[in-house]
Amino acid sequence: MKMSKKLIGGLMILVISVIMISGCTSVKPYQKMYLNDPDMQLKSRDIEAYEISCESYREGSTGAHGGKAGGGCGCF
Amino acid sequence: MRLFLKSYQYWLRTVISLVFFGCSQVGWSQSTTKINEQATDSLDIQKYPVEIDFLVSYYRQNGDHSAVTGGIGTESLDDISTEVIVNIPIDSVSRVGIDGGFSHYSSASTDNIDSRVSSASARDNRARIYLSYERDQPKNKSAFGVSAGVSIESDYLSNSIGLNYRKQSADQNRSISLAASVLLDKWTMIFPEELRATAHREFSTDKRRSYSFSANYSHVINRRLQASFHTDVVYQQGIISTPFHRVYYIDGTVGVERLPTSRFKFPIGFRLNYFYHDKSVMRFFYRFYADTYGIFSHTFNLEVPFKPGPSVTLYPFYRFYTQTAADHFAPFEGHAVEAEYRTSDFDLSAFHSHKIGAGIRFSPLYGIGKKKENSILKTIAFRGAAYLRSDGLWAAVVSSRFSFRF
Repeated sequence: MKMSKKLIGGLMILVISVIMISGCTSVKPYQKMYLNDPDMQLKSRDIEAYEISCESYREGSTGAHGGKAGGGCGCF
Repeated sequence: MRLFLKSYQYWLRTVISLVFFGCSQVGWSQSTTKINEQATDSLDIQKYPVEIDFLVSYYRQNGDHSAVTGGIGTESLDDISTEVIVNIPIDSVSRVGIDGGFSHYSSASTDNIDSRVSSASARDNRARIYLSYERDQPKNKSAFGVSAGVSIESDYLSNSIGLNYRKQSADQNRSISLAASVLLDKWTMIFPEELRATAHREFSTDKRRSYSFSANYSHVINRRLQASFHTDVVYQQGIISTPFHRVYYIDGTVGVERLPTSRFKFPIGFRLNYFYHDKSVMRFFYRFYADTYGIFSHTFNLEVPFKPGPSVTLYPFYRFYTQTAADHFAPFEGHAVEAEYRTSDFDLSAFHSHKIGAGIRFSPLYGIGKKKENSILKTIAFRGAAYLRSDGLWAAVVSSRFSFRF
């Protein structure tokens, strides 16, 4: 029961996000001045990779950052 | 001087391209004429710059719930890490990536594996290297890549291989990427000193296999707004617990951590980036996570980059994280003697955490230095963060990045 409540919460956020995205317009390549800015990249920053690695050691969850996953025992 | 610099950059590029690709493409046995042709081809690479990133980071933490001593005791730790990321174009559609790193840590908690002698893991080094190759297919706006890597510590060896595929829509406003990877890991089983005679009986393998599949979908919503979804499905099999973690039972006796030998992880994330003002951006990230150990978590991250000038970006950020405890977690002397699975690792306990920090990136259009037209240093970035966990663990991390292009 506890599990299904949390799953439903997560899925609700996903559904709301999909609805938000559905109202989008087509943007031409020459109109992407803002979208091409380095701060608009849809992934974590390169300089953040080490921090994310440390967090994966100190927390029970990992992943879904849009980047690669590395090896290592995660036991330091 | 200018002539010298241009000549220096040209020869550096040519040498790198020949070292990494000349040998594989030409072959050692082929004629000098063929090699000269390759050298001529390397002139084309000038159109596609080689990029090298140097990253240096330092991490410090402390707390009072070390898993090595059964959920009590110091968690004091220092870690310094360096990483070099090289991206080398072969031609207009293909590139090779090299990602190598080295880190060194000293840990007061792992020193307690053995009280009589300083343990192997009290100070440890980790070296890793990943190689990747990616090729674009411009006709159908897609790309395909392969990667392989290895990571070595004194008691742990990890090998990985992976595949990735990316496809863009015709108007380049939507893209989907898929990736699959396999990690083949092996422990050197080091048990706490008082359990070395018996603990090995509880483990049938020293290997861990991790299989992961990732899917990302990104979508341009308008000229200033774009979003993406990220999901991974990860399956782990083998020894997932850490062999030198102690567990103290309710009667005061001691054993080693033991966790189920298979685990599914399912994180799903959502990103939304909004350039809401000509000088300001908002970066939002949310992740939901569930796994078969019984952990559920939510992560919220908000970054607000601000651009006071065309070359400088300042970005404060805040992250909130909360998780439930793993089914088999109990604190010091909290486990029943007959418990088949048990851990007192507070990384798997119920807690929430806050992280706050800021970063700065300096990236002038023509590079950094007095002779800007010849500068190969393109970007300098610094970032610092403070992390506080509700069980009392705190951490601080600083990172720097230097990006070169030539």
